[in-house]
Order: sequence, then structure tokens, then C-alpha cells
Amino acid sequence: MNEKIKAYFNQIFADAPRTRMALDLKQEMMQSAIDKYNDMVADGHAEEDAYQNVIASIGDVTELFPEVAEKNLLALPKEDRKKKALLTASAVGLYIFALAVFLFFGFTAEFMDYGDGAMTSIGFVLAIVICIPPTVMLVYAANMYPAYSKTKNQDMVERYKEVRYLDNKEKAVLKSVRSLIWSITVLLYFGITLLTWRAEVTWILFLIAACVQKIVTLVYELKYEEKHI
Amino acid sequence: MSITSDILRGHTEAIILSSLLEQDSYGYQINKDIMKKTNNTYELKEATLYSAFRRLEQAGCIRTYWGDETVGARRRYYAITDEGRMAYQGYKQEWQEVKKIIDKLLK
Repeated sequence: MNEKIKAYFNQIFADAPRTRMALDLKQEMMQSAIDKYNDMVADGHAEEDAYQNVIASIGDVTELFPEVAEKNLLALPKEDRKKKALLTASAVGLYIFALAVFLFFGFTAEFMDYGDGAMTSIGFVLAIVICIPPTVMLVYAANMYPAYSKTKNQDMVERYKEVRYLDNKEKAVLKSVRSLIWSITVLLYFGITLLTWRAEVTWILFLIAACVQKIVTLVYELKYEEKHI
Repeated sequence: MSITSDILRGHTEAIILSSLLEQDSYGYQINKDIMKKTNNTYELKEATLYSAFRRLEQAGCIRTYWGDETVGARRRYYAITDEGRMAYQGYKQEWQEVKKIIDKLLK
């Protein structure tokens, strides 16, 4: 009979939003119904009567759907939340490491008495290099959204929602790529300027970076249209 | 009977908070308590009950945690928060006033 109750819940939750909250709610209500059924049977009610009574006491679940529909941080699957926490923690660690490298080179330069500041410059460039991965990680983590699971029979709304979710995922990647472009540009700018001492020319790198970013965005948009239209 | 259940349904949140004041509990247990206290005359529809849980949770009046049952299914427990206690006092005061007004009007 438990199977029959489960089947009934699968049926009334067929149109529920595909969120963690909705799934939890279904499990919770189903357990409650099963508890009640078991209690009634233990009290001496006939199985069929108990089943009918349990089903009748559920009420209209569709009124609950809007309340479990919204996406929030909690709706992120547990693995993703873990991943997000890990990304953020590693990023912070790398930033601290970058600072340590910078300070190390700065102090070494002072104690060893290298007059031209080359050591300090190398330390600075190294620190920026180390800062690139955590920046990309943070941007990606900030743009993580729960994945939208595929449903068997998608109506228009479901389809739209899924496209939106996929869209978000692609945007997260795009944002990461952008921050990567700018980090590399800053790095190249300092690196080349320090090597050549031609600051009056090297600023052009930023113009190039702006072009590269536009191109990347364009490629993404073209790819996106191909996929969804 | 329909007026009774309408009025009762309008106070679902307060009834839940009142039940949680005594101890942490889960959905079915709360509904059983309600039945017991009303001599098996009144029971919340599950949908009504769980919809009230979600509203209370969003308002910060209750918090939830998963029980650590070693046998059988895990249950989601509800506990009242300080905000919940305050909200409950508000509900109760309001009800006292409504009761007075209705008593005056239905002499």
C-alpha cells in the first residue's frame, strides 16, 4: 500500500517545480501520509479505508508550488554548494599567497641591497600571476546557478526555465573568460613595460584587450543563437 | 461547520506556533496534536499545513532541521525561533480582540 501512496504523490507532484525545495516538500508530505496510514491500520481500520482517508486529507498541493518555485542559494545542489565553498576558500588562500610572495621579494630586495628595484618588480609581477586563478575562480563561483534537470514532458514554461538556467551557466563561463583576459592584460602590461621601459607604447595592450573581449562576447553570442534557435 | 474550518484555517500559523512552543515537532505529529486537542473533530489538510510551514519559515518564525532517526525515514523537524515567539504573542493578542468584538456584535 505504501507503493500506492507513493504513486499518488508522484502523480500530484508531476507538475511541481523542479527544485530542491519542491522535492523535499514531496518527501516530507509523503512520509507524513505514510505515517498516518500506518497509524490508522494499526488502529484497526481496513487498508482501503485508511488509504482513502489519507488521500482525502492531503488537499490541494498545487497551491504550494509557487512557494517552492523560487531559486535561491539553498536550491543549489549540495555538491555545488561544496564546490562553491571550496572555490572561494582556495581563492582566498591564493590571494594571501600572492601577498606573501610580493612581500618576500620586497624584503629580499631591501636586505640584499639590490639598488634598481628589479627584485621588487619581479615580486610584483609574480604576485599578479598568482592572483589570476583566484580571480577567475571567484567570478565563476559567484555566477553558479542550480542546474535545471530535464523533464519528460516539457511545456513552454518548463522549456523557457531550462533555457534560462543554461543561459546562466554559459554566462558564468563568459564572465570568467573576461576576467581572465583583463588579468592577463594587466600582467603583460607590467611585464613588457618593465622589460622594455617603453610605457608610451605598451598602453596599447589595453585597447587590444578591449577588442579581444568584444570578439569573445560575439563568438559566445553566435554560439548561443546556434544552440537555442 | 464550513465557517468553523474557514476561521480555523485562517489561524493555521498561530496554531502551528502554539504547538511548537511546547516542543520541536514534525508535520504529522503537529496534526495529530491538533486532532487530539480538538477531540478528533478538526484536522488540517496536509497542503494547508505545509504551506503554512513554508510561509513561517520564510518569515523567520520557525527553522527546520532533519531528525536523526536511525530506523525508518528521516523526518524534517520544525522549531520555533525568537521571532516566532514574538509573532505568536501578536497573534494571540489580536485573537483576544477579535473575540471581544465578535462577542459584542453577536449578542
